Amino acid sequence: MRDCWNAESFYLYLEEELDPSERREFEAHLARCPSCRGVLAERRLLHEAFTSLPPFEVPPDFALSVMDRLPEPAEARPRWLAALAAGTASLVVGLLGFFILTGENLSDVLVAVIRSLSSGFGRLLPLFAKLLKVGGLLLDVASGFVTMLGKGLVALLSSLGTEGIGLILGLGLLLSLLLFLGAKRLLSSGEKA
Amino acid sequence: MGKQSGAKPSRPGSVSVPEGAVSSMPEDSTLVSKALKGDRKAFEMIVRKYEQPLTNYLGRMTGEREAALDFSQEVFIKVYCSLGSYRPAYKFSTWLFKIASNHLIDHWRKKKLPTLSLDQPVDDNEGSLTPQVPDPGPSVARKFELAEIRQKIERALESIPAAFRELFVLRHVNEFSYEEIADIKSLPVGTVKNRVFQAKEMLRKRMGGS
Repeated sequence: MRDCWNAESFYLYLEEELDPSERREFEAHLARCPSCRGVLAERRLLHEAFTSLPPFEVPPDFALSVMDRLPEPAEARPRWLAALAAGTASLVVGLLGFFILTGENLSDVLVAVIRSLSSGFGRLLPLFAKLLKVGGLLLDVASGFVTMLGKGLVALLSSLGTEGIGLILGLGLLLSLLLFLGAKRLLSSGEKA
Repeated sequence: MGKQSGAKPSRPGSVSVPEGAVSSMPEDSTLVSKALKGDRKAFEMIVRKYEQPLTNYLGRMTGEREAALDFSQEVFIKVYCSLGSYRPAYKFSTWLFKIASNHLIDHWRKKKLPTLSLDQPVDDNEGSLTPQVPDPGPSVARKFELAEIRQKIERALESIPAAFRELFVLRHVNEFSYEEIADIKSLPVGTVKNRVFQAKEMLRKRMGGS
């Protein structure tokens, strides 16, 4: 017949991919066209075979063999590293901000901070030694050491001056940045793995 | 996907899982999320869910079971390493088969096997395959059982261009919808429909000649 549908329509009909109006038209045509009914019967058999090809056999231990070949999971995420980097960066940025905003001599600020810290430790450590009454001597030694360390740092910072402190802070900032980037990379590689 | 011989297709793009397991099988996105947090059991469930459909697809594309299993392993490892880039907005099975398809293409490129672009016109032994007025042609003898026809299809499948074979397999072996295949292959839906039709006509004609 002259109004026969094209070959693709037969497959789309069998796959129920024709829209409802096309489907009705197609079926109406089939009803009056023996030739197309023959074509449809042939394509139907083929379609049935196409859609029922047997599966490939997969061994029962296939999934386990895949799991054995997977890369090892990334090590526990070093969150402490990111926290340390963030803390250091905050301290450095805070000190720099203080220096820029107040115009105070940075070395004086640092000296004051270290003095108060060292004296704080100096007071606390003997107190602990008395409270614990054990190892008091050791703690006294430790206290002395901390005090000496503090004094040493004070002396060092005084001798360095503003430029030297600025340089140290800059290096500290750079180190913090590197630590932060390294931690971030480790975290992202852990996610990928 | 991965239906048994003679089984009625359940739903385009669906995955065959053992009966009773459907309700207990978590969603793909849940499994992916767990796997990303280091839960290897969750990824194992993904492997178990897709090992059959993926091997069916790769088996038809390579023509060899052993090669298909090797490829399947490689694809699952690629999927595992790329899980971080999966976006739950997309269907997981579509994403997985896209990786599998690209993996095959890479393999063929490395091996320098002849591939056929889907943009090229196709001529088979019997001339250009363009949609035409139905031609009864050599009728498939009804006396053959479906099993025999399937055997002929398997043989004929190996002889048609890989680009057409792939679309046919995704549609009729893996039961993806035309829209899903269009996503996997980054092709317009109309092109996919037409190429699947061409693949079927190639098979029909080659089976007729065998």
